[in-house]
Amino acid sequence: MIGQPGPHAGKSLLYVPGDSFIHRLNPLTKLVGLLWLAATTFMLPPEGMAAIFVAALAFGVIAGAGRAFVRRLLFTLLPFAIALFVIHGLLIERADTIDYGLFSLSADGLGYMGRILVRVAALLTVSMLFVTTTHPAILLKALDSHGVPPGIAYLISSPLLLLEPFSTRARAIRDAQQARGLDLNGSWRARAKAFPALLIPLVTLALSDLDHRASVLDGRAFRARPFRVVLDAPEDRPYERWLRRTLLVALPLQIGLAAWL
Amino acid sequence: MALIDIDNLVFSYGPKAPRVLDGVSLSIERGERIAIMGGNGSGKTTLAQWIAGWLPRPGMEATTGHVHAKDRPWQDWTALERAQTVQFVGQIPMQQFSGFAFTVFDEMVFGPGNLGLEPDEIRRRAETVIDLCNMRHLLDRDPFTLSGGEQQRLSIASALIMQPEALVLDEPTGNFDPESRDALLGQISLLPRDLTIILCDMALKPALAIAERFVLLDEGRIIADGAPDEILDHPLTAEIFGLPAVMEAAGLIRDAGHWPTSAKLPMTPSAVVEHFVRRAHDAQG
Repeated sequence: MIGQPGPHAGKSLLYVPGDSFIHRLNPLTKLVGLLWLAATTFMLPPEGMAAIFVAALAFGVIAGAGRAFVRRLLFTLLPFAIALFVIHGLLIERADTIDYGLFSLSADGLGYMGRILVRVAALLTVSMLFVTTTHPAILLKALDSHGVPPGIAYLISSPLLLLEPFSTRARAIRDAQQARGLDLNGSWRARAKAFPALLIPLVTLALSDLDHRASVLDGRAFRARPFRVVLDAPEDRPYERWLRRTLLVALPLQIGLAAWL
Repeated sequence: MALIDIDNLVFSYGPKAPRVLDGVSLSIERGERIAIMGGNGSGKTTLAQWIAGWLPRPGMEATTGHVHAKDRPWQDWTALERAQTVQFVGQIPMQQFSGFAFTVFDEMVFGPGNLGLEPDEIRRRAETVIDLCNMRHLLDRDPFTLSGGEQQRLSIASALIMQPEALVLDEPTGNFDPESRDALLGQISLLPRDLTIILCDMALKPALAIAERFVLLDEGRIIADGAPDEILDHPLTAEIFGLPAVMEAAGLIRDAGHWPTSAKLPMTPSAVVEHFVRRAHDAQG
């Protein structure tokens, strides 16, 4: 198939190229699975959430994205865990808080911290599993081939695609302003003062781009029809369609059941 | 019936803004290769956008006059019809991208996908433009990682795949080094002969390479319209663009009395050589 995302396509994305079972799943199946698991984490006890976390992590490793998982989880969860520990373990006084002299600790607080942490970890790993095994280009093709309105698909793709040129422009503005003597290495006060000089041209240019991009899209007949024709849409196996339907039916039933109980 | 017919177009970007186009009248026939030449602020890009149907849009209507494509005002055209009639390629390639494609191939087939064409027809069109624009080795690349020249070729390929009747190029080689510029001009010169090309530029080289009709624009007004040699002889041409070296040299020769004042200045070195060879023959005879 020509035009499949190569190693240079979307370098700034979290996607990790591979050919694992999860990579080969239809993106819509993964998307529905992600939604179902995210909703399920709010209904499960901490052990269940931990099981989801471990399973998603294991699938991530099998899919070849282990390194990306570990790095992202460490960067995200470590500061979050420290903050939770300080707030719920040390600062908030509960009935079971024990004073150890230099600090006081609450077992209830630590338990609460653990529950929040494991839920966030489960949500994060499941999301990571989706983004590291699904190239946005393939997700777009899946959305288009299932008749999702082009406007919705565009909302998903354009922020990812335009991130790189936007960053390039931001760097160019920073360099240009620095060349004109803007101080970006001084005190925080000097840097705060310099911030509008970076932000205003960036926003102004982005707004002027909007007008141009609207004309470009119009010129290429975007949304002239209610659907788009895509080439090389990802395979959608019958069992995946059934799985998605089952999960989509289960989702509101689960939420309803949890609310009722 | 002209492909594009502009009649006494007066336009400004707001009620109090100065006129960008001031009574422009121009008729473009099918298959014509026309260069709209002018300096900075002459109104080239605005005129190009009118020709391509990007204007008018709400809040940006003509003060007077109109632009018709095949005898119908642009306002009456649907986006689908317009996209298959005229395509526009601007000077900053990155701004031409759809924001919908992660690969060069997907960027190319974005337009035909919107037209709702059959997949086989999209592939057939893609095959044609891939070869025409020399893109085959770039198909899996991210459009944003291509060089400027490659990005501009992609913009042109994405426009051509719509199979328009006319292609409007607004300073397509504006940011290029001479080598990339010449490569792109070579590619443009290979485009199908029945394709109408409207080039807006302030450099003479691209215009000389592509167009057989020059329109000189100054402060929003057309001041000359004709064959390239007529326009190059126009006093304002040298003032705005500077002349190709060969014409400047011929001008000096004419000033020295070795070139008939009634004859047009040559545009190519071979024309100069031909002139002097003929003179040498005449002198011998």
